[in-house]
Amino acid sequence: MDRVADQLGSLVVYLDGSVLSAEEISKKTLVLVDNFLIKETHSIFFKSLKDRGHILTFKSADDSTLTLFKYGELLYQNVILFSPKVEEFGGKISKKMILDFIDEGGNVLLATGSKPGVVLREIAVECGVEVDTPGSSQLGSLVIDHFNYDISDPSHTLIAVDAVNLIDASIIVGSRNVSPMLYKGIGLLVNNSNPLVLKLLSGYSTSYSFDPFANMDKSPNVMGKDTTLIAGVQTRNNARIVFSGSLDFFSNEAFISSVFKINDKEYPKSSNAEVSINLSKWVFKEIGVISVKSVFHYKLNERKTPMDYTITDMAVFEMELQQKIDDVWKPFSVKDLQLEFVRIDPFIRTNIPLVAEGKYKVIFKIPDVYGVFKFLVDYKRVGYTSVFNSTQVSVRPLKHTEYERFIQSAYPYYVGAFSMMVGVFLFSFVFLHADLDKDKAD
Amino acid sequence: MPQLLSVLSKFKDEYLNTTPKKLKIIDAYLLYILLTGIIQFIYCCLVGTFPFNSFLSGFISCVSSFILAVCLRLQINTQNKDDFKGISPERAFADFIFAHVILHLVIMNFIG
Repeated sequence: MDRVADQLGSLVVYLDGSVLSAEEISKKTLVLVDNFLIKETHSIFFKSLKDRGHILTFKSADDSTLTLFKYGELLYQNVILFSPKVEEFGGKISKKMILDFIDEGGNVLLATGSKPGVVLREIAVECGVEVDTPGSSQLGSLVIDHFNYDISDPSHTLIAVDAVNLIDASIIVGSRNVSPMLYKGIGLLVNNSNPLVLKLLSGYSTSYSFDPFANMDKSPNVMGKDTTLIAGVQTRNNARIVFSGSLDFFSNEAFISSVFKINDKEYPKSSNAEVSINLSKWVFKEIGVISVKSVFHYKLNERKTPMDYTITDMAVFEMELQQKIDDVWKPFSVKDLQLEFVRIDPFIRTNIPLVAEGKYKVIFKIPDVYGVFKFLVDYKRVGYTSVFNSTQVSVRPLKHTEYERFIQSAYPYYVGAFSMMVGVFLFSFVFLHADLDKDKAD
Repeated sequence: MPQLLSVLSKFKDEYLNTTPKKLKIIDAYLLYILLTGIIQFIYCCLVGTFPFNSFLSGFISCVSSFILAVCLRLQINTQNKDDFKGISPERAFADFIFAHVILHLVIMNFIG
């Protein structure tokens, strides 16, 4: 019976009779499209997702049965919004539902085109990414660069972006030592003061986003190095969102075509495929996921977590970190993990050395200050889920029996006090005898 | 300068000849207490106030002993007889001892 119960614990039974394990739920992915043709035009991208175990559910963005929650639980772990034209989603999905979905830890991959729908722009703005306003023409806005275009495109809107423009974080985008990528889409703008938003792929100083056929009668909203082509967000609850200004970036056409960048050589194949697949791995949390496996702290030479610490005790803090690789938790080893011992302010901030694969251990002296402290590990690195672990302990002063009985530096005072006692004793003798002597003399 | 020296030598002669022996004993005792107190104070200045309670009890025991001895000296001095009518030298000495017992109990409690 116990074994049956154990198995039931890791399964979720849906009302429609389908039974999914926790593993499968994390791979449930909803794909919202404007047009089912996209299944064909982006088949390589979708195939790579399926090969990695994703269960893709394709739905039209205006389907009237759409929802992301059932009885307050997530129906899907990931959502792909490949519906650039949608002005309003069908069913129950709205901007608010997408944001709730992110708040519950769901991941979103969003790609727009030259003329993004209102709802997509609003979702992006809520996440700290601004999509350029499309021009009034039918075409909308596109990123234009007269110095970095693919020569097959006379309007200079098919940008050939070198891999050095990728963010310097191989965990998100993979190698930066690959051929250029092809990008045809609208420009994004990222608030630089928002530390959660990452510019995954940025444009050149000569790039700008504008209607390619309109007169340049005003300055573009998005231009220069601020031009962001693909932006990523990792929220504080470790949900991940990727915004791409180009849906074509993920298309078969971009994946297989060659690149002939102006003033450069011809590359037989663009690196759109590698970068897209790496991005999708990151955004759907297949890579860069770390977590705390165990935390243990104790007084040196005791190996048992104490009720409280006494000031100036030697404390030992041990921690194990793990990383999810191919759906298996493996030890996670880094050299820059830090521990803080905090009472409002950190009293101690120290590196936690790696002692074995994924195991960290540090020995330090509790400060000579009592109060309620926390062992705090706050590890945030670009591309990795943030680790925040806080363990509260109390640090008390010495008990009255624990103070030093005789203090060496106080010996002169002891001697002084006792000499006063001896002094009065001897004085009494001398004084009284002198009295007698005097009496005799008198 | 010679005047000062003559004053001092006269003071010394007067003291040696006219001061009763009992008072001289008390004066010697007072000098001893004074030196002990000064040594402790200098030590505290050099080493620092830790442990402060020990310093206080050591130093205060000197100061209090000094005060008690001065009181005894006042009460025993025959020149002050009018001020301390009804207090015999025996009574003064008993008071002195009683006060010392109390003092040293307190000091021992406080010294740490």
